[in-house]
Amino acid sequence: MSEIPRLKLREKHWQGVSVSDGLIIGKVLRIPSGTRNILRTTLLDADVERETRRLKAAVRLARMQLLAIRNRAERELGIEHAYIFDAHILMLEDKKLLDDVEAYIRRERSNAEWAVKVAADKILGIYAEIKDDYLRQRGSDIEDVTRRILAALSGEDPAYSKLEEDAVIVAEDFLPSAVAELDFRRTLAIVTDAGGWTSHTSILARGLGIPAVVGLRDLHRHVKTGDEIIVDGSTGDVYLHPNAATLNRYKTAATVASANVSIVDDASGAVSTTDGIKIILQANVELPAEYDGVLKYGAMGIGLYRSEFLFAQRVDLPSEELQRAAYVEVGKFGGEKGATIRLFDLGGDKIGLAETETERNPVLGLRALRFGLRHIDVLRTQVRAILRAAAEVKLSLVLPMVSDVSDVRRARKIIDEERTRLAADGQQYGEIKIGAMIEIPSAVMTVGSIAAEVDFLSLGTNDLVQYLLAVDRGNEAVAEWFRTLHPAVLQSISQVLAASKLADIPVSVCGEMAGTPAYAVVLLGLGVRRLSMTPSLIPRMRSVLGKISLTDAEQIANECLRCVEADDVEDLVRAELSKRWGALFTSKSLPIGRSKG
Amino acid sequence: MIESRVGITNRLGLHARAAASLVRTAGRFRSVIRLERCDGTASADAKSILSVLMLAASCGTELTLSADGCDEVEANKAVLALFASGFGEHEQ
Repeated sequence: MSEIPRLKLREKHWQGVSVSDGLIIGKVLRIPSGTRNILRTTLLDADVERETRRLKAAVRLARMQLLAIRNRAERELGIEHAYIFDAHILMLEDKKLLDDVEAYIRRERSNAEWAVKVAADKILGIYAEIKDDYLRQRGSDIEDVTRRILAALSGEDPAYSKLEEDAVIVAEDFLPSAVAELDFRRTLAIVTDAGGWTSHTSILARGLGIPAVVGLRDLHRHVKTGDEIIVDGSTGDVYLHPNAATLNRYKTAATVASANVSIVDDASGAVSTTDGIKIILQANVELPAEYDGVLKYGAMGIGLYRSEFLFAQRVDLPSEELQRAAYVEVGKFGGEKGATIRLFDLGGDKIGLAETETERNPVLGLRALRFGLRHIDVLRTQVRAILRAAAEVKLSLVLPMVSDVSDVRRARKIIDEERTRLAADGQQYGEIKIGAMIEIPSAVMTVGSIAAEVDFLSLGTNDLVQYLLAVDRGNEAVAEWFRTLHPAVLQSISQVLAASKLADIPVSVCGEMAGTPAYAVVLLGLGVRRLSMTPSLIPRMRSVLGKISLTDAEQIANECLRCVEADDVEDLVRAELSKRWGALFTSKSLPIGRSKG
Repeated sequence: MIESRVGITNRLGLHARAAASLVRTAGRFRSVIRLERCDGTASADAKSILSVLMLAASCGTELTLSADGCDEVEANKAVLALFASGFGEHEQ
């Protein structure tokens, strides 16, 4: 842009309500107002069927997005922040809403947008009459869900989910699901005109460490994208076009504030323990917004790419070409160390295949590799896309939900066939390493035979814990039985490591355990040398692992293996970590004891 | 049809998280499962979250649970167990 002399903009000050601490000086990204005009159109009789199909496709897309949001919230913020999106998903599946909308479309020959608005307004009206504060707040959830359906109908993409540069988001209002969709790495602060954020939106902002001020009344219409702004999340002060004096005052304060939290460090490559053992830290990624973090946080490649994200953006099966391009992009971010693509970890419900029957128990059902082996075209397309992408970038492929070596053999046969076909067609393709996810107890028990036929193993600890202990992570009633440090879990990990040593292949751990420093110490002691985690967790992990010795970690792990109760393991880990490295592990970073007694 | 009386014992009442687990649990059964406030002011389809939230059932609210269908015994048992567990949030 050319330098046009312009009037000096006068500083303006707003006082809002602080909901999340932190001081930010940055540039505005103005989110257009959410109150869109919905127009009513009358359809021809012949178009009514098509309109209901359009509605269903939009609902399916919205559901996919919410599932991705829910999983992301659980992974990055913890399960306690994910439940609200469970409620959103249920609202989206609620017959009460959808039947109303569909009936309205048919009866009134209305466009889907209008019908959604009418049905939502009706429900909101009923909620508004109920004299209960909490319920009135649920109105915002219904609004969140309906806005998402409307956005899916219009095919528009939220502007805040992939930011080109760091920005302070200024919006009239911001919905909980929008917060979870934010490009976290580049969102400096959120400020909104509306007050009365549901406690949940504020919790999310705090969980993410993003400063937020609400209740600014008319800020939104005074700002333009690119304006300079100061947001003081601890006092609720917001300055637009700050003058030199204000800037100076806040810049001093900002330096002090940033000295206390060092989120970003410049280190990259492997981290060495104090006794010189190298540990490889890799990144788990899913959303394109997370790719930058791979470099920013110094990950040694991508240890896990959750390819099912490709479905979150669309309703139909992503084409071979689209997949190939996506894998090349992921591979580029992985760099020399490459990227490990996990085959779609999905069941039929997520792909929207009409012929798929509702399963009684989908977690134990036709999903992941099993789904691919049944819907062989889906699997073949993905395998071809990965092989072709590997001509340009370094890739590995990992098979999710392997039950035993026969699953590996069936998958390898298909991979070999596709390689041969690509060669016969004269297409470019590259060599890939093939690994197996170890997350089912049967795979642990037969891990020796699996290890003999793959190039590497990945331990998916989230699912492993769930399947090993037969505990549904989302079920509150059995939460106390979900014990990451259960002796059965530790013995399984130990067994997998022994088998990999024998077969001389690497193992990486890529579940939640790998990203939690307290657990990582135990993993290290058991023999793990590769950890893959959400990129933003890498700097903290690097700083912790660089200060401990393997000898200590091994002593702790050996003690743990002798424990017979999960409580004992947790007590032991807590005691040992604070005894040996009290400064590194605050009481908050230690596993919480959840005794059944 | 089976009817039972249940009380809301968890502090936060039948709010979003509790309602979500109720709806998920109810959704596993074929029977028609309904909840009605004992004061008669509202009743809800336990498989619809929008409907369950409209009960505005806070801690201490008494409800009548009814299940009607081929798996009504199991359904009744599962929902009762969920209520008895306080939706897993007693210690909070």
